[in-house]
Amino acid sequence: MQAIKVRLAVAYAALGVAALAVAMLTQEFPPLRDWAPFAVVAFLTVYHAVEVNDHLTASPAAMIFLATAVAFGAGHAALGAAAISAVSPVTKSDIAERRIALSVINWGQTVVAAVMAGFVLEPFFPDGAWSQRDFPLVAVGAMLASMVYHLVNWGLVSFAVRVVYRKREVRPWSRMGSILQSTVVMGFVGGLLGATYHLVPVALPLIFALFGVGYLAFSSLSELREAQEATLRGFIKALEAKDLYTRGHTERVAYFSQLIAERMNYRGTRLERVRWAALIHDVGKLAVPRDLIRKRGPLEDEEYLQLQTHAHVVEDLLAEVEFLRPMVEIASGHHSRFDGGGYGGTGHAHGTAPSQEARILAVADAFDAMTSTRSYRVALSQEFAFQELRSNAGTQFDPEVVEALVQSVVESGERYGSPNLGSEQDARYIAEGKFR
Amino acid sequence: MLAIAFIGIGRSESSLVSVTVAGILIAAAALVTVPASSGNRFSLALAAATAVPLLIGPIFDFGGAVGAVAVGFLSGWIVLKLFGSAEHLITANSDFLRQSFGAFLFAAAYVVLAHAAGMVVGSASANLIGAVGAALVWFAFETVAWALFTYDRVSRRYLIKLAVEDWPVAFSLFAVGALFAYVLPELGWWAPVVALLPYSFAHLAFYRSHSARVTYSQTIRSLARIPEVAGLSPDGHSDRTAELAVAVATDLGLNPDEVRMVEYAARLHDIGRITLNELNIIKVGFTDDDIARWGAEIISEAPYLTEVAALVRQQHDPYRRPGERKDPDLPIPSKIIKAASAYDHATSELGFSALEALEVLHRGAAYDYDPDVVEGIRHIVMTR
Repeated sequence: MQAIKVRLAVAYAALGVAALAVAMLTQEFPPLRDWAPFAVVAFLTVYHAVEVNDHLTASPAAMIFLATAVAFGAGHAALGAAAISAVSPVTKSDIAERRIALSVINWGQTVVAAVMAGFVLEPFFPDGAWSQRDFPLVAVGAMLASMVYHLVNWGLVSFAVRVVYRKREVRPWSRMGSILQSTVVMGFVGGLLGATYHLVPVALPLIFALFGVGYLAFSSLSELREAQEATLRGFIKALEAKDLYTRGHTERVAYFSQLIAERMNYRGTRLERVRWAALIHDVGKLAVPRDLIRKRGPLEDEEYLQLQTHAHVVEDLLAEVEFLRPMVEIASGHHSRFDGGGYGGTGHAHGTAPSQEARILAVADAFDAMTSTRSYRVALSQEFAFQELRSNAGTQFDPEVVEALVQSVVESGERYGSPNLGSEQDARYIAEGKFR
Repeated sequence: MLAIAFIGIGRSESSLVSVTVAGILIAAAALVTVPASSGNRFSLALAAATAVPLLIGPIFDFGGAVGAVAVGFLSGWIVLKLFGSAEHLITANSDFLRQSFGAFLFAAAYVVLAHAAGMVVGSASANLIGAVGAALVWFAFETVAWALFTYDRVSRRYLIKLAVEDWPVAFSLFAVGALFAYVLPELGWWAPVVALLPYSFAHLAFYRSHSARVTYSQTIRSLARIPEVAGLSPDGHSDRTAELAVAVATDLGLNPDEVRMVEYAARLHDIGRITLNELNIIKVGFTDDDIARWGAEIISEAPYLTEVAALVRQQHDPYRRPGERKDPDLPIPSKIIKAASAYDHATSELGFSALEALEVLHRGAAYDYDPDVVEGIRHIVMTR
């Protein structure tokens, strides 16, 4: 694979150099005092890429490239932007992980994309001096150029991925809708900022300073988000670790829930919400006396009641965190049946149907419960679990969710549970040492 | 303020219409606020109040600038009284007065500084110097005034440190105001778009990171209360200990970052008690040190809280053992938590009065407890 990567890197580098050469032959380099500040800003943004929101994970490098291309104006756009993209393709993680071939590939595709975008912009520039009447046209041009930039970029990326990893489907394509949206917005903003530079050069440092301050706040935000998730996960893990039989349960249920939700076309916040709900779905158990959880044999009525009230108290506690409230609602609904029976959690009356998110969680939870070893029986086989889920589909479980789980587990090629254990009774006997 | 507005407009060289329009702009901007990390909220009127003196120039038109700010804040105040309950508004009169006065100060400082600078350099640079200088004057005023008048019984020094951390928000408001003023004459109707696009990015960032910060501390609080709702540790102990510990930490002059650590560690100091529902542990018995150890183990699973875990681990280490020198490496937050937890235990569990509880701490001072921390608690409890 390394050889292919190197060959691809050489090819992309050649492509990038060729694109630069074409730009150099047809255009003039912008004045250095214009070019240098833009280059510094572009380098910094690419180097410190942060996650802006669920849809916009890329650095706003494209926006900066477009702003610079527009700011350099007719006869300079493609070469100026390409020269900037040529000096700023390194990210922090690339350096940390020494991905040299990947960096070169990236360099090539970014330069080619920048040159193409620059040439697309060219016809939209005004002939003489700039005025505010040119703004709409330039903005439209910049949006088009932004689309070209992204198309070229992703075309080259998916080609590289196909060659190196021999995978047909490339992930970014499946999210084309949201990418297109942010591309257009970035193009619009970049075009406006570049055009502003022609009329009021002083404005640009102020604009970049504003973006910079926002950038700082966003990077502290993503750190906080990570801290939030890591903290909750860490606590759950630490508390679970004390119990041999539920160890890893939460993480696995979160994984299965995510598989199902992705198959059912959940994206962004909705997907996150399901994953979070899975992470906290068992938190109520933390407050329950441990011997009750581990008890062999059925619970007595009083113990069952105790289990429920404890679970509710902790759920109420987590629901005080506003961010977690929707997740707690999902998590507390996961014990109710598809047809409306069973005991629910906080604010969940008997007879109401659970939300789709809760139904996903219910299936993921049941699947992991069957395919992992518990105190009273060993793990059952995956086939048995599928069969059990299917036979209860329509009453206890949502048939659509069950099918989504079965398909995605089978497709992933992963296997869970004991290889050939197809009976609940056998599993109990083995656990009690009565079998064989 | 009405008088100031009249005098300002009367002496102004600008037209009554432009001053009134500028005032209304300020009032409209006052409807939006942006949260800062200290808990203060900045009104967008500040951005408008920055733009107005820069725009209304000629730079020596003191009356026009100050008059517009006065009109703006007067109408802003009327709006405030009409829709005062909305969440995004500045609701407290004191906050509103402070920010109004700050805007005056800004306009006045701008005119004076730009005038002074104009005698030395050209008018374009003088404008810039005036704006930057006035922004600094404003920020100094806001910081000190907020620290003095917002919270009772919290160390002023600490509040000032906290308020200084708000600089990115203040900076972005000034920057967008100045940006708008610079681009308006050239870009016309495109000016609001060009100014508001980068600002809205920053605004969103401030808003989101504020709510993430709130969420994070709420999460810590909820997790800390799990042993309490499970009946494994006394109800409300973590909240009360955290409150006292934070008060002492600010009183002792710790930095905002350190105070945050104190808060998290104080809230979570008893999390180790969650293990007390295991039958074998109850049978064998446990010591305070076990609780600290288990707590630190649980907390250290969260990668961002390793510092807190270390503080929790040392929460029961005495200040000095008899016959030994004191341990210079024992962190102050741990010492604060030890004393604050003991104080709350005495008042809430043992039924001691505040004085009796202080007596307990005094008797343990210099051995169990750090004398400085005990003095801090005494100060907090006595001034409460």
